[in-house]
Amino acid sequence: MNNLTPYLVISSALFVVGIVTVLSRKNIIAMLLGVELILNSAALNFVAYTRFGALNLDGHIMALFIIVVAAAEAALGLAIVIGLFQIKESIHIDDATELQH
Amino acid sequence: MFETTLFTLSGLFTLGGALGVCLCRNLMHTCLYLLASFMGVAGLYAGLGADFLAAAQLVIYAGGVVILMLFAVMLTGGSEDRSNRMGLEKIPSMGNKKTLLLSLLPALLALALVVKLVLSVNIAPEKLPPFESTVDKIGILLLSDHVLVFEISSILLLAVLVGACVIARPIRGKKHE
Repeated sequence: MNNLTPYLVISSALFVVGIVTVLSRKNIIAMLLGVELILNSAALNFVAYTRFGALNLDGHIMALFIIVVAAAEAALGLAIVIGLFQIKESIHIDDATELQH
Repeated sequence: MFETTLFTLSGLFTLGGALGVCLCRNLMHTCLYLLASFMGVAGLYAGLGADFLAAAQLVIYAGGVVILMLFAVMLTGGSEDRSNRMGLEKIPSMGNKKTLLLSLLPALLALALVVKLVLSVNIAPEKLPPFESTVDKIGILLLSDHVLVFEISSILLLAVLVGACVIARPIRGKKHE
């Protein structure tokens, strides 16, 4: 494909589906999956603009750091989920209402 | 021809996987749909000439994050529609039609904004630069222009490693009850 628009369409669809996932799910792990989709759509935009805007490779570096931050976010988020599960025995978002037990 | 096929297949994988993440009721299947979506994005990266990013996407996301998610699902029981231990009626954990419809409203708002932005973009170069390896250039850029961010991200990963271990540690005294 030698046009920017299809990539932007896919990226925006990915973004919207990610937002719907984050907002509609009540399971914390499923919400984290939606956040991953949103971060992926942002990284895809960076790489597409790098290719078609005839820019230097700074967009690739940015996408790389997005991947790093997403991995960190997933690890820490899942640690929090497991910590919550030890206390509440639930991963429902409505059960996460207290800062301490 | 090859690029069009690659783009179509990767796009279908990406969007189909994302829709599966959004609509599937089973949390384990949701993680596998997310894997398909990540692989589709890696294919899109490959079609955009970002070979290093495609490999990194496969290794970090498909090999790391999804496995982590699957472990978390298994450690927390993988429950989907169980009501809470108080037995109260509430929204099922994977959402229902009402939450889906309600979340469509802000999503459509975001979609309108994004569509307006996409339509305002008009980049159609006649001649694209040829594909070439980006690994050496990314390496040079990481250790010259972006070395500070590189080091900060290594500190971030170390902090996340320690923090995740501390947070997910079993609570003392509550281990065998």
